[in-house]
Amino acid sequence: MAILLASSTPPVPSTFSGGAEAIALVVLLTEFAMFRAPLSRSQIRLYGFQSLAVSALAILVAATQHVPELYALAGLSFILKVLLVPGIMLRLLKDAQIDLAASNRLGVASMVLLAIAASVFGFFVVGRLPVHAHVLPAPALGLAAAEILVAFLLVILRADVVSQAVGFFSLENGVSVASLVVASGLPLILEVAFLFDLLVAVVVFGVLIRVHHGRTRTLSTDTLDRLRG
Amino acid sequence: MGWDLLVLTVVPFVVSITCWWAPVTLGRLLSLASGVLSFALALLLVPAKTTTAAAGWLRVDALSVVFLVAVTFLYAATTIFSIGYVRPGGASEANARYNRRFFAGLNLFAWSMAMAPMVNGLALLWVAIEVTTVVSALLVAIDDTDGAAEAAWKYVLIASMGLGIALLGTVIMYYAGTSVFGTGYELFYPKLLGAAGRFPAGVVRLSFVLAVLGYGTKMGLVPVHTWLPDAHSEAPTPVSALLSGSLLAVSFYAILRFYQISVRAIGPTFPRDVLLAFGIASLGLAALYLASQRDLKRLFAYSSVEHMGVLAIGMSFSAPIAVVGVLLHVLAHAAAKGTAFFGAGSMVSKFGTKEMTRLRGGVGGLPWSGPMLVLAVLGLCALPPFGIFRSEFLIVSGGLRDPHDAVAAVLIVLVTLATLGLTWFSSQTLLTPTPDGVLRKETSGWIVCSMVIGLGALALLGVHPPAQLSDLLTRAAHELRGVS
Amino acid sequence: MVAVDLAPASIQALQVLTIVVFAPLVSGVIAHLEARLQGRRGPRILQPYYDLGKLFRKETLVPTDASWVFVVGPILAFTCYLIVPLLIPVLTAYPLPLGYMGDILGGGFILGLASFSVAVAAAESGAPYAQLGSSRAMTFGALIEPSILFVTFTVALITTTDLPYFEAASARASLSQVVRPAHLLAVLAFFLVVLNDTSRIPVETHSGTLEFGMIDEARTLEHSGPLFALLKWGSAMKQLILYVLLVNVFAAPWGLAGTTALGAVLLAIALLLAKAFAVGAIFTVIDNSFSKLRLFKITEFMAAAFLLAILAVLVLYLGGG
Repeated sequence: MAILLASSTPPVPSTFSGGAEAIALVVLLTEFAMFRAPLSRSQIRLYGFQSLAVSALAILVAATQHVPELYALAGLSFILKVLLVPGIMLRLLKDAQIDLAASNRLGVASMVLLAIAASVFGFFVVGRLPVHAHVLPAPALGLAAAEILVAFLLVILRADVVSQAVGFFSLENGVSVASLVVASGLPLILEVAFLFDLLVAVVVFGVLIRVHHGRTRTLSTDTLDRLRG
Repeated sequence: MGWDLLVLTVVPFVVSITCWWAPVTLGRLLSLASGVLSFALALLLVPAKTTTAAAGWLRVDALSVVFLVAVTFLYAATTIFSIGYVRPGGASEANARYNRRFFAGLNLFAWSMAMAPMVNGLALLWVAIEVTTVVSALLVAIDDTDGAAEAAWKYVLIASMGLGIALLGTVIMYYAGTSVFGTGYELFYPKLLGAAGRFPAGVVRLSFVLAVLGYGTKMGLVPVHTWLPDAHSEAPTPVSALLSGSLLAVSFYAILRFYQISVRAIGPTFPRDVLLAFGIASLGLAALYLASQRDLKRLFAYSSVEHMGVLAIGMSFSAPIAVVGVLLHVLAHAAAKGTAFFGAGSMVSKFGTKEMTRLRGGVGGLPWSGPMLVLAVLGLCALPPFGIFRSEFLIVSGGLRDPHDAVAAVLIVLVTLATLGLTWFSSQTLLTPTPDGVLRKETSGWIVCSMVIGLGALALLGVHPPAQLSDLLTRAAHELRGVS
Repeated sequence: MVAVDLAPASIQALQVLTIVVFAPLVSGVIAHLEARLQGRRGPRILQPYYDLGKLFRKETLVPTDASWVFVVGPILAFTCYLIVPLLIPVLTAYPLPLGYMGDILGGGFILGLASFSVAVAAAESGAPYAQLGSSRAMTFGALIEPSILFVTFTVALITTTDLPYFEAASARASLSQVVRPAHLLAVLAFFLVVLNDTSRIPVETHSGTLEFGMIDEARTLEHSGPLFALLKWGSAMKQLILYVLLVNVFAAPWGLAGTTALGAVLLAIALLLAKAFAVGAIFTVIDNSFSKLRLFKITEFMAAAFLLAILAVLVLYLGGG
């Protein structure tokens, strides 16, 4: 029986793959938690936590794949995405003096089911890719694809500007995970530009959120329906 | 010619920063100078072979030059138009601030769009295009109206999500390259193009689809075009002109770069089919929407979607002449759509509304820009002797040589349908009696000047494109199709 | 200690006996812990035994309109709970003779039958609260079912069988097998399933007296005397069985008897109780740190369990996460 067991068990992933997958999983689960999070504030905190996981992944990749630049990237992404971006967003919320309750277009359970369907789709798309040949944590790539799709759903199904902005930022996190597992040697300049861009995007989102709040006294996007056709 | 690229990289950026601090009049003049200078520099690059600068980070080949010319031409024309359109406004502090912000943003926007075809490599290309999003979103919102805020929000959200997808496409293309180069290489074009034949097909396919979907969002391909009409109609008119004529073209350029690599890696069939699907959807939907618009600038926005559809369909034809047509179309569309938006801006500043039910008698009220707007609309409808006629003619004749010539027939039908909507509505606003009390007077000579330039270029492209330009287009088409 | 070897059959009997005898003890310890956490002195640890003893001495009242189902239901459920320990690794790391009688699904069916018979008996009573409880229990039982299935799939994908012994064995085989994402996810999902099936917060207040919030608890409201005793005893056994599944199959399949020696088996019993107390302590802490979900929010909890379970299958599907 033991022999049967040994021969038929799929190979256990290596430390790198296992770790990368575990972190990618955390990222995906955080995304799901954002669906559930009733308050904008908790959503932003979840985003900070998610970014922390991404930074951890960068360190893991740097250590196991011997890409020392990624340490710098991890540090930078920690400062930007864990401290600065959530800080700015929380500050904005505080200034708006609204703590928005959930503004879902659907019930949480149905949203989660939809998101599950989306992530299954992402998985199967990546599963059809011939990426297995390489020494790659393919599930981590699948998880990243799923995370991106779920972030899309978050933006679509939430009707307030903060959730939509956070959804977009977490989409970038998903892309980061994908690039870390697939293309760890990706030119550092792209990664850094990417982070910088995120910071600028936060400022733009911040400005627009302020404009929006200043005009409508709400953070809901329900009033954004004048332009049609 | 390396200095040329460096000047193009530096000048608009510096001017943008100067505009932020300098006195209003100085900023306006500097913008004008920067626009004209950039266009002149871009023209200098037309006859040149591939140029590189800044240790290989800047690289301009024939394909880049086509788009660089389109961007800088519109940059120059738009600065001229803006000087007439955006009033200096005397001593008012609010107006001065608006002026400073506007011209700083305009230059920065043009700079980022000019950078996109100049940088070497998919990674920097993505960065440049992302910068255009950030800058243009703020420009869309600059008027601070309800509509502008809404449009800017939708624009920045949808376009950023699209660019997220495009980044994923870039990452996956990078991954495709690791099978040849190993980890840790730069995504320079010559390198990728040289080795593309050995990339794994499935990965390249995924990357191409993601890139088309992602950059297609910014290019306004249906079904990811939804931000476009809002942003184009709510932005200040000079920004609308740049969005429509340059930004969409630059996004198309990004798709072409992926196309260039994919064609070498997996053959032309798959990329063409993808572009064909998006193109038909864009053209068809835009033709339908054109028939039901009430807002002049929205009308032109949907016309942009239509022309982007034409570009995508043109790329799906296998005949080389169609590719030349596509590249010419990029230039002609920039000129025509720029002129059309300038005319729309003239109408809007004359009548103070964008709603076509209240815009009446444009030709009567505006002795110069009115008739020129009529001509620009006719140009957009691909009537001779304008550039779009020539480019669409090339595309269609290329399509008719294709084994699947039904697509060309569909293209003709849909373009005609779009023409109906466009001419019907613009003739209603332009060729009607002028309401009483409207003086027969232009609002600004600068506006007329910008339209004359745009229309002149459009006619030049249609009647007799300069030999060097034709040569450039042929070289660019060769580069695209992988025959050199 | 004298090395006495036990016959496999007697170990098997001992598994059932362990569950039967110690289930009330585990319940008692948990109740005591809970009280301590809330700053009360709490009942004696052995209180459940006294309760059972008292109930067995009481008379049985049957509603006038109830049929034989009302009486048979609790007995059938209790019988089911007696059968399940034959199938699962309660004490031994190696399969016992009847261990192959049923796999995880088989065990699940038997547990399902038990739950069904309790629900039917409750419905038979005709009392509104009991009927409410049984209808809710069946609804949420159906909703949690997909999660259980996907946990089973995970086990099947990892071990290529769905026998609980092999899942445990594969987890014992190497540490990386335990920390692999799929396994962790499956454990978490199963943990949520156990939370639901043992009527714990956030699904149900397990010691509440408010009928409106009740799910499982409401089903036993109409039973009395020995039948009620059987129900209470049965639910304690179900709890211990689920704990055994959680620790001995998924989370910590260590400390089971590797041989048939009496000493090893006795040690396994002691360790099992220790693990059950530890799991109980975790549940108690959760009980005290979270609040009960509103009834219509429970689906979110189910969705979370389902999410974890389906992700486990997905990462396995894509190249052995």
